[in-house]
Parts: sequence; C-alpha cells; structure tokens
Amino acid sequence: MAKPVVIVVGADKGGVGKTTVSRTLLDYFSANNVPTRAFDTESPRGTLKRFHPEITEIVDMTTTADQMKIFDTLNAASPSVTVIDVRAGLLSPALASLRDIGFLDAAKAGQITFAVFHILGPSIASLDEIAETANFMQGAKYFLVKNFINDTQFFQWDQSTYNSYFHRIKDATDLVIPKLNEMAYEQVEVSSVPFLKFVANKGRDDEAANYSFVLRGYVRHWLANVWSEFDRIKLTDLVGAKPGVRGGEK
Amino acid sequence: MSATPVYIICSPRPLVGKTMLARLLSEFLLLKDGAVANFDINLKEPSLLEYLPRVTETADISDTFGKMQLMDRLIVHDGVAKVVDLGFHAFDEFFRMTNEIGFLKEAVRRHVVPITLFVADTDRTSARAYPMLREQIPLQALVTIDNEYVVRGELPEDMGLGRVLRLTALPSFLKTYVDRLPFSFTEYLRNERDTSTELHQWIRRNYIAFRELEFSLLAPRA
Repeated sequence: MAKPVVIVVGADKGGVGKTTVSRTLLDYFSANNVPTRAFDTESPRGTLKRFHPEITEIVDMTTTADQMKIFDTLNAASPSVTVIDVRAGLLSPALASLRDIGFLDAAKAGQITFAVFHILGPSIASLDEIAETANFMQGAKYFLVKNFINDTQFFQWDQSTYNSYFHRIKDATDLVIPKLNEMAYEQVEVSSVPFLKFVANKGRDDEAANYSFVLRGYVRHWLANVWSEFDRIKLTDLVGAKPGVRGGEK
Repeated sequence: MSATPVYIICSPRPLVGKTMLARLLSEFLLLKDGAVANFDINLKEPSLLEYLPRVTETADISDTFGKMQLMDRLIVHDGVAKVVDLGFHAFDEFFRMTNEIGFLKEAVRRHVVPITLFVADTDRTSARAYPMLREQIPLQALVTIDNEYVVRGELPEDMGLGRVLRLTALPSFLKTYVDRLPFSFTEYLRNERDTSTELHQWIRRNYIAFRELEFSLLAPRA
C-alpha cells in the first residue's frame, strides 16, 4: 500500500493566501489523477470547502476528536494524499500537537510522507515564523512559499535581511506563487469553483458557464505558472504519483 | 457559418498609416458583407471613430475591465468581421495580454481567425517588434504591410519573409483628399464614373488584395 502523504498548508499570519495555495494543490493533484482528500480547519465556516466541497471536510484541529478524524484514518483512507489547510494562527500549535501525538516521529522514521507549505506574507512578522516553524521540521519537507499577493519583494532589496530569513533553514525549499490578476481572482471567488473548472468555463456541477475569456486566460496562465513550480519541486514524486500528461493543460 | 476574421492592424510606430488601412479594410468588409465591427484603440493618433462612427467603438486596454470589454467581443464567432485599429502606445500591452490569455489558441477552438496586419517601418522599434510577433503568431496569420509612403521601397528583409501586402503611395494631393473626414472609399468607387483615375484603381487594387487575403486565410476553414 502506498505510504500516506500529509501536506499541511499554513501560516501564523492571516491573509497571506493559505487557502489559495491549498486550492492550487487540490487542482494540481486532480489534474495529475492523484486521489486527494482535504481538511479545512476554518471551523465552522470553511473557505476551502466552498471550492472543493466533494473532497473537503471541516474540522477543528484543536479538538482531539477531529485530530483523530484526520490522523487515525491516514492508513485506512483510500486517497493516499491528505491536504490540511490550517487556519491563521494555528500552524505552530498544530505542529506542536503533531509532535505530541508522535506524528512527527513517524514522519522522521519514514512511515509517513510529511510536507509543510509555509505561506509567507510581506512582513517581518511573517518571516519571523520561519524560525519558529523550522523547529518542527525534522523529517518533513519544508517549503517556504513566497506568495506574491501584492508587489512585495520579500526584502530581496536588502540582502542581509533576506539571507537572515531565507537562508537560515538549510533544508527549506523556496517556492514562488506569482500574483494573479485581481479581477480574475475576484471572479473565481464569486463563482466558488475550483480554478480548473473556471478555466474550463464550467460551473459547480460541470454545467456550461459564461466566465470572461480574458479572466479565464489570466487564471489559466497563472495556474500554469504555479503548477510549474510544483513540477520544479517534484511534487508528484513526493506523493508517489507518476508524472504524465495531465488534464487542464490542453 | 465560415470562420469569423479578426483583423488586428498594428505598429509600434505612430503615423505609419494604420488608421487609413483600417478605414480601407472596414469599407471593403462593409461592401462585401454588409457588416463590420471596428474597435479603435487610438488615443493619440488620427481616430477611426471619427471616420466610421456608425461601425466603430473605442476600446481601452489600460485596465483589466477594458481588456475584458474588448477581448470578450473579439473571441465571439458571430460571422461579423472585426477590425482592431491598435494605437502604437497600446502595441506592447495588447500582445503581452493576448499571449498571456492564450487568445490565438482559444480563437482556433471558436472558429475565429485573427489576422495581424503589421505596418512595417524601417526604425529600430519596428525591427524589435516584428520578431516578437513572429514568436507569437503563425507566419500565415501575420501579414506585413509594405506601405510605400512609409518604407519608400526599403522594406526590411526580415519583414518580407512571410505574406506581404503592398500599399502603393498616393500622390500628396490624393492623400490629402482621402484624409478628409467625409471621404468614403466605397462611395468614391460608386460615384466616380471615370474608372481610369489613379484613386479609383488604387482602391480597386487594394480591395482585390483584401479579398485574396481573406480568401486564402478563411477558405480552407470554411
């Protein structure tokens, strides 16, 4: 049986695009035919569930019952990949909980593939989280995601500041999420469909939709750039899938 | 229904005859099909809107909303030929955007045929712009306009490799005549009894060239 894969997407700071990155991951796995389930920790509302209702469950990660729901089913669940969209402020506590229940040790022992996508925002506070999170990262794949939700430079203009954050953690891999056109982003928000369906001009139930060709073009171009970053870090290899021709890129 | 052509008349240079070509082409399409939809993206040059106000609307691609207003119309397969008079100031942004949103690929899916008419010039800006278009646009859909009035018989070699449509220069007095706002090429053809006049022959020659161009680009897909 394939080794279970758990991908945590989070940040302690809010509004940095955690759910957006989670959505691109779910689209990526869907296009690569990787069965995936997702947990949305924005209890009780759930933003991720709005876009991917069939595969997403809303959980409260601070409760033991919901922790069991996620981690006790890793081996039993048919999709081998689990994506957890951790709500703002919960990343460090969530990782601490994972350490306490022995999950991080299991990852270290190679029983589970564990990856963390740490979404960074354009502030020192956001970058300060890196050192804190890194303490939990032994045995995990740690991805520092620079999400260009605005024209931030992530302090690249100040090399010493940049190095002090991005080169502090040896085994971390940088990942860039380019900026998506604001109107295109808003149109997908309003439509409440996965990016892939938006690009394909389809509604929630696969019915024909009438989205702007221009906005669909912007989303398609942006999603291709995001996926090329996932390809660069060999995400399909990480989850044990075979890379091949995927849907949505025709 | 055969494919819907979208003519994009462009140059990164001002005052090379884009609007004159757009007028001529629009009047030809009106004469042939009875309908044409023009889009004028010229804020800083002579305006197509002033010449053909009944079939022309202005477009602005400086923001996303403007791009949607324009491109969501251009991609529609409705059988009405479209002519875009693309001002020099919007040249880079327009082709950056069409490349990013995959305009050409989507056009193929929707039976829309974009035909880019690049008005050549001998300067460096044009020399840089042409290879950029070559990268994006298949050679058969990229037509170089050899406007004798602009290039004076010295069309850069690179720009002459694909399809070339030659516009002979009109004498100055005739150019002034056709540049007047109320002038209509088709009306002139209809009303001028003497078919041997230079202007009459010039218009006929160009209309025939447009017809051949459209036939060669659209007929195989029909």
